[in-house]
Amino acid sequence: MEITVKTSDLVKELGLGQGVVEKKTTIPVLSNVLIEAKDGRLTLTATDLELGIESTCPAQVTKPGSTTLPAKKLLDYVRLLPNAELALKVGDNHSATVVCGRARTRIAGMSRENFPELPKMPATLTQIPSATILNAIQKTAFAVANEESRYTLIGALLLIKEDSLTMVATDGHRLAYVKADGSFTGVSGEVRGLVPKKALNELVKIASEGGDSMAIDFATDENHLFFRCGSRLLICRKLSGQFPDYDRVLPKDAGTTLTLNREELTAATRRVGQFADERSRAVRFELLDGELKLAASGSDAGESEESIPVEHSGSKLRVGFNSQYILDFLAVAESDEVLLQLKDEESAGQMQLPDPKGYEYRYVVMPMRV
Amino acid sequence: MDAFFVSVEELRDPSLKGKPVVVGGKGPERGVVSAASYTARKFGVHSALPLRTAYQLCPQAIFLEGNPKLYREYSQKVHDVMRRFSPKVEQVSIDEAYLDMAGTERLLGRPLAAAHRLHEAVTAETALPCSIGIGTSRLVAKMCSDLAKPNGVLSVEPGAEAAFLAPLEVSRIPGVGRVMQSKLEEMGIRRIGQLQGLNDNALGRFGQWGSALAAKARGEDGGGWFDHAVGARELPKSISHETTFGEDTADAVLIDATLAKLVQLVARRLREHGLWSRTIQIKLRYTDFTTFTRAKTLDEATQLDNVILETVRRLFRENWSGRKVRLLGVQAGSLTDPAGQLGLLDEDERKKWGRLLAATDQLRDRFGESAVGLAGAMKHGRRERIHENPAGLPGKTKDEG
Repeated sequence: MEITVKTSDLVKELGLGQGVVEKKTTIPVLSNVLIEAKDGRLTLTATDLELGIESTCPAQVTKPGSTTLPAKKLLDYVRLLPNAELALKVGDNHSATVVCGRARTRIAGMSRENFPELPKMPATLTQIPSATILNAIQKTAFAVANEESRYTLIGALLLIKEDSLTMVATDGHRLAYVKADGSFTGVSGEVRGLVPKKALNELVKIASEGGDSMAIDFATDENHLFFRCGSRLLICRKLSGQFPDYDRVLPKDAGTTLTLNREELTAATRRVGQFADERSRAVRFELLDGELKLAASGSDAGESEESIPVEHSGSKLRVGFNSQYILDFLAVAESDEVLLQLKDEESAGQMQLPDPKGYEYRYVVMPMRV
Repeated sequence: MDAFFVSVEELRDPSLKGKPVVVGGKGPERGVVSAASYTARKFGVHSALPLRTAYQLCPQAIFLEGNPKLYREYSQKVHDVMRRFSPKVEQVSIDEAYLDMAGTERLLGRPLAAAHRLHEAVTAETALPCSIGIGTSRLVAKMCSDLAKPNGVLSVEPGAEAAFLAPLEVSRIPGVGRVMQSKLEEMGIRRIGQLQGLNDNALGRFGQWGSALAAKARGEDGGGWFDHAVGARELPKSISHETTFGEDTADAVLIDATLAKLVQLVARRLREHGLWSRTIQIKLRYTDFTTFTRAKTLDEATQLDNVILETVRRLFRENWSGRKVRLLGVQAGSLTDPAGQLGLLDEDERKKWGRLLAATDQLRDRFGESAVGLAGAMKHGRRERIHENPAGLPGKTKDEG
């Protein structure tokens, strides 16, 4: 194999694969990126067996061929080269010689025979606008569980119907739900899949790289989801197992609705949260006549309270929440105002945007005993 | 209490009086001595000694398995008597307790007089021998009671602590074990008086322990559980149970049953203390005594048997080499007050488990530990054992089965 390629192209494509490549793997070849050259294009593939990214860039192919090279080492090196043309030549022992200007380096590789074969993308089922999926991921991914034991919660549910795309994530304490309108021709009935957190992150990367107006080709087979974004393809294995029945969790009656300034609520929650118990991060929300009072007293450092004026009279209630959970929502809500709905100390609170365009967003948080 | 378990056995069977008696097992089997009569102690038998060694030292001794339930009943009787003498009673083990007598003088007279009345009351109501030490600190009181044995009362007047301690050997100080003793011996220190003569720097190399030791030598409470007030509610740092198999085993069913049993005991103690745990640890010792501990931190604190068991099983599965196991242990750490966060998906189920386990706890209180339990634990024919003054620490007991 013998090619010439722009260093800037190579850096960009290698960068996309880095998130997938396993840092600590028991299978050495998975630390490598598969490099294939033919028909004027260079194709790079990285996988951790759960997730794979395939991307291509133009290259001058003198002699087609392939090899695998250590992904991190290759990127670290190429990144240091000036923006210029780079010649890459693979010898008999899978290692590559990289020449750029007066720099000349040999990088040890491994046979492509050991590199796992990625599933082939079936025919495109439907197209998803980049902006739609980016919005859905951004507003839900933070609620995905980190813990291993709740296996089905370590991914977000993606549910596509002919006229809507729904994404739901929960860690057992809170749940984020986005339902976006759209026209997904080609989908009959519904398509659903559990997307692992890592895949969500990678999907954000390749979708952002393509720009907001881009459409993503979506396809699925029995075990995989395929997202093609221009010259880049993300393949992820669906998580198996049953995602919880989120419909049951979304409150039918969320109680009293308060309209709050997002920045004001964020600042108050942050300040009071400084004095919450470090582990539980519990902050009390107390609804009184004309004010919402936030208070924390869990830490040895002291206690703090703050009140936000609200239009409310009549019923009083007091409920505790993990302040981080509240901040997580406020960080992704881009509107000036947010809705906070409270019922009682044992029922879930709900947060929403006042008037989202073209989608529904609900965030449900279970209270804490305080 | 003096030779508590043995004294209780003597009440049950007076013919044992004056004979070498060892409680812990029926003969030279695996396990350790949990108590020895004064006659047996003359042969060098003491608690925590392996039963086989005890048998070698004193083969003529009468070996008894013991009767934990009865010991607890008597312990409770003594406790009830003590409660009449002071509202501040700190029971540190099944046969040892501290009473804070401050402010009781008008009611009960001077401490020495009160101690004699307490001694008479315990004798009258249980017929068991006990010894009482009196001092201005728990340390002095404990050392007095050790010296007062058997069946005596000893008091050190305020101000006389240092003089009282000076001629005693350093090993008399609670917390000074064989290792510390030999380290001190290297420094030429054998008696507490010599410790008193040192400046604080000399013990600096023992760190925190050094300053606690210096305080102890002066007759003050210091270090570990001596730091808090008598009767103050103390939160254990961890709660653990462990068990040694009668015969080492690689039988996965028996091991699983044993883990389930241990989990049940740990979870029950969590609920008794009103505590939730976030870190679950297993301990695994193989035949060759290589020992592993592996822990997992949960997303949220729990006190439920099923949640702990699930974690314990996983830890075991991931770490067991398949070799024969000698000892298993389960520990719940990172203890906190009630778990605050309510669940979104399984709150109803958690509440159900909570109610179920509260009910089983009540059944066990009434009908004994084996009245009801996880089905998986039933295969484990674990025999309950308890020890006199195990480590003197709360939240730590050891079971040999």
